[in-house]
Amino acid sequence: MPKKRLFSIKPFAVLIAVIVFWIFVPIAIKATLRSAFYEFQAPLSASASYIRELQNFWAARLKSKSELYETGKDLAHLNATYELKILENQALKQEVERLETLLGLPSRPDYNYEIARVVSRDFNSWWQHLEIRKGSIHGIPLGAPVVFSGGVVGRVREVHKYTSTVELLSNSHLRMAVIIEGDNRPMSFRGSGFKIFRSPTGLAEYVPADIKLTDPDNPPRIITSGMGGVFPAGIHIGYITRLKPGASGMFQDGDIVLDNRLSNLTEVAVLVPTEELEQ
Amino acid sequence: MNTENIKKYQSRLWIFYGFLGIILVVLYLGLFFRQLVESETLAQIEKVQNQRRILTPGPRGNLLDHEGRVLVANKSKFSAVVFLSEGQVQKAFDESYYGLVREYRARDEEIKSYSQLRILSRAMVLESYLKGVNELIGRREGVDANAITRHLNVNPLLPYPLIENLEPWEFAILLESLPVEHPVQVYVSNMRHYPYENAAAHALGYVGFSPLEIESDMPGGDLKTFATKGSYGRNGIEKLFDVDLQGRTGSEIWVVDPSGYQVEPVSREYPQKGNDIELSIDIDIQLAGESGYDLYEGYNGALVAIDIERMEILAMLSRPDYDLNQTSPFISNAVFKEISDNRAWENKALRGLYPPGSPFKLVTAIAGLKAGRIDESTLFECDGSHRVGGRNFPCMGTHGEIDLRTAIEKSCNEYFYRVGLETGVDNLSREAVYLRLNEPTHINLPNETRGMLTPSREWKKDRYNQPWYPGDTANMSIGQGALTVTPLQMAVVVASIAKNQVYSHPSIIKQTPEQLARRPVPKSLGLPDSVHQAILEGMDRVVSPTGTARGASVEGVDIGGKTGTAQINKKDGNLELAWFVGFAPVEDPKIAVVALVEGQELNQSFGGGRYAAPMARYVFEAYFKKHPEYTQAGVGQTTASVSLP
Repeated sequence: MPKKRLFSIKPFAVLIAVIVFWIFVPIAIKATLRSAFYEFQAPLSASASYIRELQNFWAARLKSKSELYETGKDLAHLNATYELKILENQALKQEVERLETLLGLPSRPDYNYEIARVVSRDFNSWWQHLEIRKGSIHGIPLGAPVVFSGGVVGRVREVHKYTSTVELLSNSHLRMAVIIEGDNRPMSFRGSGFKIFRSPTGLAEYVPADIKLTDPDNPPRIITSGMGGVFPAGIHIGYITRLKPGASGMFQDGDIVLDNRLSNLTEVAVLVPTEELEQ
Repeated sequence: MNTENIKKYQSRLWIFYGFLGIILVVLYLGLFFRQLVESETLAQIEKVQNQRRILTPGPRGNLLDHEGRVLVANKSKFSAVVFLSEGQVQKAFDESYYGLVREYRARDEEIKSYSQLRILSRAMVLESYLKGVNELIGRREGVDANAITRHLNVNPLLPYPLIENLEPWEFAILLESLPVEHPVQVYVSNMRHYPYENAAAHALGYVGFSPLEIESDMPGGDLKTFATKGSYGRNGIEKLFDVDLQGRTGSEIWVVDPSGYQVEPVSREYPQKGNDIELSIDIDIQLAGESGYDLYEGYNGALVAIDIERMEILAMLSRPDYDLNQTSPFISNAVFKEISDNRAWENKALRGLYPPGSPFKLVTAIAGLKAGRIDESTLFECDGSHRVGGRNFPCMGTHGEIDLRTAIEKSCNEYFYRVGLETGVDNLSREAVYLRLNEPTHINLPNETRGMLTPSREWKKDRYNQPWYPGDTANMSIGQGALTVTPLQMAVVVASIAKNQVYSHPSIIKQTPEQLARRPVPKSLGLPDSVHQAILEGMDRVVSPTGTARGASVEGVDIGGKTGTAQINKKDGNLELAWFVGFAPVEDPKIAVVALVEGQELNQSFGGGRYAAPMARYVFEAYFKKHPEYTQAGVGQTTASVSLP
């Protein structure tokens, strides 16, 4: 009887032993194990992502020729528009370079766009992040800004060999210097999470007291300041929807509504500073 | 045996039970007393022991000019700070301290002072934080170990500043580079900012820091309180309207651990900004006055411009002055000494006492006219001097037979000696008192002098026990002798003469229509229109191409004025003062301007037409540029060069 009782507590004893062992394992080994776990898990996530893409491909194959023709026509239009935009951008870039030379300003940091597919999304209130299918072998640096067509996505938090983890804009651990479009006073932005069936949100601190929400249909737009050295200037973040008094009494705090598409991104672009690539 | 024994001990057991019962009753009574009777007191003691209050002063209200432009505002001051009471910082302090202790022991070295070691360990931790921040923003700041200890002793719950006054780009870099949970955080506080630097410095005033005055209705009055210093007006409008400008103090109550470090917040009330105050000062006119005064760099004195209809100050400057930004966030000893050595604290516009000189001749003329001793056509012969009581009183020229208008235009001393002597000191004094030259203007600014003096027979008898002599009257007639006024008084007087009314109580706060309607109706100066017109004509001629104040003339505007050169008797000679008083347009006066410039050297000739009038011209030009409707044919452009006689 006592032997049986002893046998029944054996699993708990083992568990306690493992926990105690884990507590005393050196931090370096823990970090290595954690990283190895990610690296081990990455091919699975990547494979799942490839399979999803294959599904999408076969779903598209089922479409009729006329549908494909119409879509192809639309794409051709889009391509033409983008080519025009590229030309405009080139002209603007030249103008910016000319003005920089004329005014003796330091040239703005140049970035290369590394396009990456989203492998998985985690909108848990603690870990709001994306896994992307590009890692250190693709030259993704730690801390690099990540954007999409609707503005900022977040910042690379971890880089593995084939995948990277991107801290989302709505993550409360992501903080950046932003400005209101048309105003050059820097403010602080922090993510404030996702709520089910609602847009992702953020919080702007140090909003100048003279900023008012006069037109609800045309709220002030928040963009990156470019002053912090991480994000280039002028990328869209969100809109101020509410202002309330700030803790210092001198500034206001603003609730920011972010782009809804942040919750279902499939493709993002990592901005890799050219200098870093050269190194 | 057993039964017997039981019986034997039964009685002892009862005693034990009784004793136990008494103890239980005492214990229960004690519990009852503590839980029901003393519970509130004990809860209060527990609260006082475990909670701390942090007070943050609310930002002060802004000072705005007549058109709502910001003259004084709050500027945010961003700093990189460490909250020393944060758990991770405390842990880092402990680790650093025990590491040092271990090092000493490993070296077999005696630890002379554990408290010094504690101070050193804190400094090392903050130094390591600071190193990271320095690398990020390219600074080379250091840490003061003693300052950390002082901070911990005095304000452990308030953030310790590692680097103050971060530039916007430094603020942005730290925001993006420091993780949210990093011990170093960006913190914002506020300081007074003066975008126009020294403009209207004396009128605006400055603030100083003192322990925060805690309002009694704030929560947590019984708790141990930590507060950053509050800012309080020390001078000018900042001082007089301090109550309105003060913001509402914010309050945070925290539960703290036995060491006094923050654990969790209990309540939080955000600070609120104080009320903005709109002043009557028009910064365009103020800056024009400042530019006018800059014509003669290094000269001291004052300039005042008044909106006559509203009796509001449009510009007020006093030289020497100082850049108000030097006083923010605090006045350093070096700056305080520099300002004190320059004697720049004093607002000469309302504290400087000067003999009015020739502009007082207007008062003499009014006294003579009202007393019926002269009329606008009365002629006197000027032969260069006038003998009074055995002494020759000189004139600046030989003007021949002249009337009142010409006498004002030429500023003929002899004419006014004669008018004064004819009128008598009693009438002269009475008229000066009627124009309120013997009392402060009661402007809503602090520290206006009460030392102005309108001499009279009685005054001289009381003061010197001497009779009043005709020579005293002659001196007083031309604004000399014991007579002293402030530039602000003269501005009010010239406004009064311009409108044939007696004004007082000018305001530097912009009046609402209701306040303007409540102003008492000014009493009449008492001059018939034709007589009043004669004085205005004389003043108009002063600012004509042949007048002494031609330097004040502005194209398209009729300006009336009076220049003056007053003397202050010093031990080794006379110090001269240059005066200009004027108003415009003559036909419907809107603005009155007074400029006073102090001479720099003894016995240096110092005419009001040469020095003071061109300064006033800058003000007139700025005013009429903003109000072309009051001009005849538009206003000429302000130029740096001034044609002078």
